[in-house]
Amino acid sequence: MSVLPVLRRIVLLLAVPVLLVAAWWAATANSTDFFWPPLSDILGTFDDTWFHGRITSDVLPSLARLLAGYSLALLLGVGLGTAIGSARVLRALLEPSLEFFRAIPSPVLVPILMLFAGIGNGMKVLVIVSGCVWPVLLNTVEGVRALDEVLRDTARCYRMRPHSRFVHLVLRGASPQIAAGARQALSIGIILMVISEMFAASNGLGFTIIQFQRSFSVPQMWTGIILLGLIGIALSVVFQTVEARVLSWYTGLRRSQREG
Amino acid sequence: MIKVRAALAAASLLLLAACGGGGGGDASGDGPTTVKVSVIPIVDVAPIYLGNQQGFFTEQGLRLQIETAQGGAAIVPAVVSGQVDFGFSNLTSLILGASKGIPLKVVAPGAGSTGVQRKDFGGVLVKAGSPIRTAKDLAGKRVAVNTLNNINDTTVRASIRAAGGDPKSVKFTELAFPDMLAALDKGNVDAVQVVEPFLATGLKNGARLVASNYVDTAPNLTIAGYFTSQKTVASKPELVKKFTAAMQKSLKYASDHPDAVRKVLGTYTKIDPSVAGSLTLPTYPAQVNAAGLQTLANLAVQDGLVKSAPDLKNLQP
Repeated sequence: MSVLPVLRRIVLLLAVPVLLVAAWWAATANSTDFFWPPLSDILGTFDDTWFHGRITSDVLPSLARLLAGYSLALLLGVGLGTAIGSARVLRALLEPSLEFFRAIPSPVLVPILMLFAGIGNGMKVLVIVSGCVWPVLLNTVEGVRALDEVLRDTARCYRMRPHSRFVHLVLRGASPQIAAGARQALSIGIILMVISEMFAASNGLGFTIIQFQRSFSVPQMWTGIILLGLIGIALSVVFQTVEARVLSWYTGLRRSQREG
Repeated sequence: MIKVRAALAAASLLLLAACGGGGGGDASGDGPTTVKVSVIPIVDVAPIYLGNQQGFFTEQGLRLQIETAQGGAAIVPAVVSGQVDFGFSNLTSLILGASKGIPLKVVAPGAGSTGVQRKDFGGVLVKAGSPIRTAKDLAGKRVAVNTLNNINDTTVRASIRAAGGDPKSVKFTELAFPDMLAALDKGNVDAVQVVEPFLATGLKNGARLVASNYVDTAPNLTIAGYFTSQKTVASKPELVKKFTAAMQKSLKYASDHPDAVRKVLGTYTKIDPSVAGSLTLPTYPAQVNAAGLQTLANLAVQDGLVKSAPDLKNLQP
């Protein structure tokens, strides 16, 4: 393999981020505005702000809540979604209610969730679940509905057992759609992780950023915002890696169809 | 022909000058100057609404435009960037800002503690059957405050210290005032620091007052004030003078007419009229209590909110 294509990829990958950072650096280089400190100041406080205890006391608890909420939402969304997608009666019965609940933004539910789940981690995880579950659920319903009729009949003809039919036909067949929903849910999850920590929190990434904002620690606040973005990138890379592995059959199928 | 052109040019210049004159914020023209003030819609800011009703700002040639915000964290940037001329904030927030180098100046006091134990507009409540009897018992307990690392947790710590307890072991949790009484009732927290109207509501529903944290902190503590940026002080001294004069008159009027204050609450808050009649009003002092301000600055340093206290001379009116 030659070096050039690899180089090309790296340039394509980094060009825009580097330009953006350079623009930010240049625009704020001589800034005296209190709320727009020079990027050099912001980066200078990064290490001090995050790598001396805050990773374990704030970042990890946040990520743990995100992981818990996101996993629960996936489980719930895929579980309910396959049930609703498979049964027409259920779908007709639940569709209006689902549309109703889907339209409610999770942040407005926080005071109500607090009454049920208290003010601890449970409430924050519930906030994340209540927002993340919808894209997964609705995409799963659509994915299950759109399963190939021929495949369905074939599976029945071969008398596949319900369990293997569920795993190999329904889940597998709907998985591209489920993945699309899961990807959407991930970014919603990050947003809700921050929002849930604006209420009744005593640690966490969102909580810390708000504290910096309130105490007018502006460079520190910016480092928090940057850190959130970096976490977003990292999670998206992890997601893509998992997705590429799970959906390799699908991407392969698509490629062969396009080429064939 | 040349004459005509010159006359036209002169006329257009005049026109331009006339247009330019009206736009200046500090112009002493005929029309009233619009002044934007950002406040939090709470009991503390009743005087500005009352003074506006009474025409104290029009007297000074000001047309008041009040904008409400969620909290001081949003108001300070709006004032510093010049989006609004004046803002309302508690004094600890302003001490925090000044210590970080934000050029702020208090131009008028906002609201103060009554200075009377058990009869203040803010305090710490516990559930009816709670074993917590005094501020000292709060040590090691979960206490809700509306914002962490600000005036309410430092003054609760001051209460505990004054009662001989250990303030370091208190676990503060941040909750919005409207959510506090429910959290107390459910046992999510052991105590809540509330202000009116939630204090009166809580007491009415059987909660018990264990400390008047503002009274314990300093005598006649000024809690909050109206402020602006040093830039505005330097560039629009007339505007600042007029606003301060109108504010002083409003504060005096509010002090003398508590019934009018209770009535005006209904125009900008959702406070139940039955509660509005019984709640304890803050005082609306004529000046910022300097000793109290110093105490707040000392507490901010002691509790680690800031590394070093700012020069309060620059902050004070």
